[in-house]
This record gives sequence, C-alpha cells and structure tokens, in this order.
Amino acid sequence: MACDRASDVAAYLDGELDATAALAVEHHLESCSACAALLRELEALRGGMRQSASYHRADPALRARVRAVLDEAAPAGKAHMPQWLRSAWAGAAGGVMATALAASLAFFFLLPAASDVLVTDITNAHLRSIASEHLIDVASTDRHTVKPWLAAHADLSPPVADFTRQGFRLVGGRVDFVDGARAAVTVYRHGAHIINVFAWTNSEGRLPQFATRNGYHIVFWQSGNLAFCAISDTAVDELLELSRLLKEMSLPDGRE
Amino acid sequence: MDDRRRRFETQALPHLDAAFNLARWLTRSDADADDVVQDAMLRAWRAFDGFRGGDIRPWLLAIVRNCWRSARADSKRRGQVALPEEHMAMTGEVLQFTGPSPEASAVRSSEGRKLDAVIASLPEEFREVLILREMEELSYREIATITAVPIGTVMSRLARGRAILREKWLGDVESEAHHGVR
Repeated sequence: MACDRASDVAAYLDGELDATAALAVEHHLESCSACAALLRELEALRGGMRQSASYHRADPALRARVRAVLDEAAPAGKAHMPQWLRSAWAGAAGGVMATALAASLAFFFLLPAASDVLVTDITNAHLRSIASEHLIDVASTDRHTVKPWLAAHADLSPPVADFTRQGFRLVGGRVDFVDGARAAVTVYRHGAHIINVFAWTNSEGRLPQFATRNGYHIVFWQSGNLAFCAISDTAVDELLELSRLLKEMSLPDGRE
Repeated sequence: MDDRRRRFETQALPHLDAAFNLARWLTRSDADADDVVQDAMLRAWRAFDGFRGGDIRPWLLAIVRNCWRSARADSKRRGQVALPEEHMAMTGEVLQFTGPSPEASAVRSSEGRKLDAVIASLPEEFREVLILREMEELSYREIATITAVPIGTVMSRLARGRAILREKWLGDVESEAHHGVR
C-alpha cells in the first residue's frame, strides 16, 4: 500500500523540491493512488493545523512586560552572541546541514540555501511595497507606458501586459531590489489583492518552483536569462494563471 | 528610544506572537510560556548585535526553544533537591496541559479542541517540528538550525509526527463521520 516515494510527497507539499524534482513528483502522483491519497491527507492535516488548531498569541500584558524588561536591561554595549547560537548560525551558513542531507537523500534535490534568502528578500520587498507608499513608481494601465519606463529605469524589459479580461489588471511598475540586484516590478491587481511580479537577471538558472512565507504565495519561473516571481496573498492557482499568461508572452510566437 | 532599541522594536517585536505560540506549544502552559518568552526576548535583546540580518523569526525562535530547554533543565535540577510539595507543584505545573479559556472553547469547534489535544500529546521532538513547519511555515533548513539537528532528522521527525497525527486525528474524524452516517 505505502509507496517508497512517500517522503518525496512530503517534500513536495513542503515546497522543498526544485522544479525538476517537483515535476517528477507531479507525474508520479498521476499514476500512484497511494501517494495521491497521502498528499490529500497531508493537506488536510495542514489545513487542520492552520485553521482548527490554536495559534497562541501573546496577550497585551505580556507585550507590556517584555517592553518593561527591555527598558530595565542596561544598554548592552558590546553584547556577544551566545556561543551555542553563534555556532548554530555558522553551521547553517556553512552548509553543514546540506552535506548531512545529501547523504541521507540522494534521489531528489533540496533547494540551495540561497533560495531561502531569495524568498525572504522577495517577501520583504512585497511587504514593504504594500505597507508603504512605494508600491508604484509609474502608475499606468497601459503596457506601452510601463514597459519603456521599466526598460529605462531597471535596464530590463520583461513582458508587460494588461490582463484585465483574465482578471489581472495592470496598475503600474516600479524598481526594486532582489538578491542585491535591480529588479523590474510589474504590479497587478486581482480583486482586492495586489500581485507583484519581479523580474531580474539570473544566469545561474536555479530557482525554487514555489514557496509560501508568512501567508504569501510565491511562484517562480525562468525565461531566457530573466528570473521571474509573482507574489501575493491571493490563491496560488491565480498566481500560476498569471505566470502562465506571462510565460506565453515570452514564447517566440507570443504577442509582445 | 535609541536606535538599537528602535530596530529591535521594528524587527523582533512583531514576532512576539510567533515566539509565544512556539513557547506555549512547547511548555503547554500559559504561565510557563510567558516566562520563557520574557527570558527569550531579553536574551535576544542582548544578542541583537550579533544578528547578521536576514529573516529574524527563525533566529528568535531558536532563542525561545533554547530558553525553554534551559528552564526545564533548571527546574529538573532544582526538583531533585526540592521539598516534596514543591517538587509536586513544579512538575504539576510543567506537565499540566492547560486548555484554552472557556470563552475561547465555546466558539471553537470540537474538531479544533481535539486537534489541540492530539498535538499537545505528541512527543516534543515531533511537536516542535510540526509547529515550526505547519504554523510558522519555516523551511527544513530553518527548522534544522532551530532544533540543532541535520535536515534528514527534521524530515524523519516531520514524517513521524504527521503519521501520528493522521492516525490519531484524521482516523478519528473519519470514524466519527462513519458513525454519523449510520
């Protein structure tokens, strides 16, 4: 009954597989009913833990006590990181864990550590854009305005189009930074949701397929030497649809 | 408020809920979770200069977990020399599973309460990885760093924890559904 690919299914659900390995699992799921059933159960568990189980929040009294404790604590001056923390972090950075993993699992690839940084970067950029005034540098629903503006300011010319008919209204563009490099951001509105589509030059080619961070879904894809990612709090299916529309535009016969 | 404090307020304090949630699931008691979180935030504040940027939440949660483990080790050590009554009180406090308040229970589904009880009954090494993965949505790598084990161990603990949950929670949900039909 149990299939020996069961651990792949969990890693797939957890967004820990690279695009190739994720695709292989998707193919496998089409033909293996045991793994398909396992995936449904794991998704039900996840739904239960996120929606039914208690998420314990700090009450205001604790928040106030923490602030009082911080007020009392003398300014630390040259504070030192405790030894256990320093070594844990150095270990993480040095890829000690990755080596341990490679030994334990040879048949699929975990994403490189860099993708963690990337996901954090993009989530932070998205949060900044929706929390501040800096969502849009150039406000326009006309791709003939947004595209040249991005080309001039971000040195990139990603596909830009208004997909109002398909539910994604182009609202503008801005320049942001991803992974220390300049990125062209196209901003869409889908119902009440803002979707940021980042594009940046990436010749290394290794991207995660998708990720979820702080409740935001992120879908990645690569087209030529450009990496793309769409991030929003909308459903992941909607992001995949937008990415499909944009990918079609990059095809040789796609209309630009 | 000086600059360092302001940075701590804007970077670390927004994750107080995440810190409390982890502490609450580890200690299984509101009072113990309060103590652990206060201790952890103070340690984080002292170690803040050593934080090298990136996502602060896993860094903070690692401190929370470490505070819980050292608090528990302390109470065990003290427990060995404590008077019988004190010893009872102490272990009683640590082991007691304090459920949600009655008001909270009234509006929560029985399914949620049951799931809470099942999660609380999991051995700690499975409970912590499940909380970090499913509630905090951390990556295997981040969980490995927080729990100080290799990624392979994180994966096997997740698998084991999920298997127990499936059996104890989904199994019951399904059998209840069958009873309902009959």
